[in-house]
Amino acid sequence: MLLIVATAHAEGLSSLSPKLLPPEQAFRLSARALDPQTIEARFAVANGYYLYRDKMQFRTEPVESKPVVLPPGKPKHDAFFGDVETYRGEVVVRVPLVHAAAGEKITLHADSQGCADVGVCYPPNPQQLTLTVPASGGKPGSFVEPGAKGWFK
Amino acid sequence: MVQVTPAAAPVPQSRSRRRTIAVALAVAIAALAVGVATALWHRGGDDAVRDGTAVLNLVLPDAQGNEQALAQWRGKVLVVNFWATWCAPCREEMPQFVAMQTRDAAKGLQFVGIAVDDPAKVQAFAREVNLNYPTLIGGYGAIELSKTLGNDLAALPFTVVLDRRGRVVDTQLGPFKKAKLDAVLARLLLQGSQPPAAGS
Repeated sequence: MLLIVATAHAEGLSSLSPKLLPPEQAFRLSARALDPQTIEARFAVANGYYLYRDKMQFRTEPVESKPVVLPPGKPKHDAFFGDVETYRGEVVVRVPLVHAAAGEKITLHADSQGCADVGVCYPPNPQQLTLTVPASGGKPGSFVEPGAKGWFK
Repeated sequence: MVQVTPAAAPVPQSRSRRRTIAVALAVAIAALAVGVATALWHRGGDDAVRDGTAVLNLVLPDAQGNEQALAQWRGKVLVVNFWATWCAPCREEMPQFVAMQTRDAAKGLQFVGIAVDDPAKVQAFAREVNLNYPTLIGGYGAIELSKTLGNDLAALPFTVVLDRRGRVVDTQLGPFKKAKLDAVLARLLLQGSQPPAAGS
């Protein structure tokens, strides 16, 4: 029954759909704690996709972060919003922490929103992941990816 | 001697009864599957046609906060466009919808936008493009509905075309090519320009 419905379902879809990546694959978030003062977050943006710089936001809890300086993006003129910047390829962002202690668990919240060049945009995607702060002067923590999906699932 | 032992007989009997029940269940499930598939998917022309009741049952606030039922447009050829101001491809195709609405309103065409967005931004953009059809504010529920209509990734723009009988005759993820939408609308607007009698 599932098969019948699924097959019929596919017939009604536009040809765009099978080629589109789910947002968590189009924009792969990962992060690691470099040291007790810094989280490094990365978005690996798949070919043919882009993220909006002004829709990207990071915050941490329970330890707060200082203001994040996002790297410059590629300028793009938007008829409604004016000049905006976009990211393609890999975006690396440093999130400075306030008073984190070694071994402490920190949750990083990352909001992003992007589109595919084929003419489709994804809704804003809030994601989160949890990191452990490494010891001062020790090795950076390993990269962590979000376990829970955003509001798509 | 007909029964070897009174206790032995019920075992094979209950096994075969169980098998009969299993076969009956399998047949019932298969019949149900075919029934559901047939009910959901009539073949009409080149398009798969689905029941659009879930779309027509939507009640969403407009940008001014007034609740609007999509059922008020029952009997029209209805084009429901999921969009957002943060979606550039959505904004780019909307002036084309405005022109089509003007051209075919008298023939019974009705566009309705469902914006996954903030009402203030929706109003600002509606003014900018002189939007001549209603656009409602859709939240999580509207996105979920679009997923059931084939928009698995909850991406925008996503457009659903319903015929006058409330059946989903076309869905489009990504911008609707003008020629394709024109062809779909021309065919649907020709079909029964009178809304069907109640209960049909």
